[in-house]
Amino acid sequence: MSADASDLSLVRRVQRGDKGAFDALVLKYQHKLVKLVMRYVRNPAEAEDIAQEAFIKAYRALPQFRGDSAFYTWLYRIAINTAKNAVVSRDRSPIEYSVDRSSDESYDMQGRMKDAETPEGLVLTDEIRSIVNAAIDALPEDLRTAIVLRELEGLSYEEIAAAMDCPVGTVRSRIFRAREAIDRRLREVFEGGLGRAEELG
Amino acid sequence: MNEELDSQLSAMFDDELAPAECELLARRLSRDEQLKARWGRYAVIGAAIRAERGVRLNARVARRVKLIMSSEPALGAPQVARRAAMPRWWRPLAAAAVAASVATVSILWLRTQAPAPLTALTAPRAPLTGAVAANDAAGGPARAVRAASGKTDSYTVPPAPRGSGAVVPAAELASYVVAHSMFSQPVARGNLLSSFMANEAPAMASPAVAEPPQDPSRDAQIQTQ
Repeated sequence: MSADASDLSLVRRVQRGDKGAFDALVLKYQHKLVKLVMRYVRNPAEAEDIAQEAFIKAYRALPQFRGDSAFYTWLYRIAINTAKNAVVSRDRSPIEYSVDRSSDESYDMQGRMKDAETPEGLVLTDEIRSIVNAAIDALPEDLRTAIVLRELEGLSYEEIAAAMDCPVGTVRSRIFRAREAIDRRLREVFEGGLGRAEELG
Repeated sequence: MNEELDSQLSAMFDDELAPAECELLARRLSRDEQLKARWGRYAVIGAAIRAERGVRLNARVARRVKLIMSSEPALGAPQVARRAAMPRWWRPLAAAAVAASVATVSILWLRTQAPAPLTALTAPRAPLTGAVAANDAAGGPARAVRAASGKTDSYTVPPAPRGSGAVVPAAELASYVVAHSMFSQPVARGNLLSSFMANEAPAMASPAVAEPPQDPSRDAQIQTQ
């Protein structure tokens, strides 16, 4: 199994003109990138702006990406540099951003107030977290262990197989079933009358 | 939704799918919005387990990036291939070659636009016309004569008509030289007059004779007067 094969296959598609593949990369890494940028800026809204800018920079620079390093490592460097530049430029001029947001209809003051660290955003974050935690608690022991080792500890399937003394195929199946159970619970809650169906995308 | 497909998607999300399968699934993932939404929720589940701050099911970052991306040009295969094929060191050389070509063409064009070389003043007919040109430059009677005849002024000696050995008949020119003798040295004036006398007879005898024989030393002598 080659590491980063999945990212690389998506990256190659983007390089061949498939923008939809880039959506998948953004969906996969947006949380990690925002978390990373939060080391440099305290404001979550600003962190989102910087992460967004980093993604756009990465897209524009993708023709030069040869796959010598993992895609996330490369994206990580872009995000760090973008965050550092943003901090410097913010120190000079507090409200300067290089990304044009004029076309983003959802971007307005009201949208800013809905950021994750605002009361509404925190409720939403906590809500998602509590649903996920409840769903994990409801999982059978073998599924729960597999998903936690994978997502919290970052172990590979092979390492989890060794830890759980089972074949790699079984690990793959357990992790998949754990995700499906959590995902089902999330969709039930958000599509079941909480008025947040739009959050499901 | 096919369970095997979802299982593959989960494994692909963890970078645990074989590259060949990744290629096929990446193609489907980029086009199937439902699959993409599920993929996005897998990311949310992971972030929630890690208790990351600001987790939302449909984070604004992805939505806004997608919006901006809609106005971005797609990265084309030919562009990528061409850039990969052309080494970086080749680009400055190509730019230098283009600049050199432009400079060469500019120089050649400027040369064609430049005025006639000064050597026209010492053309074969210079023995006589050199004096005329000198006089002309001083605003002498030659200019008045040419103005009266409707000819335009020129900084170079006008060409003599073919078949004529001199611009002005020798006798008239001799008279002109005598009339303006105060401006020339006696020795040079004597040489010039004797030269006129020597040239006048053959010129009158055969008007179709070609240009007079060149005498560089005489040219130089007249120019210095």
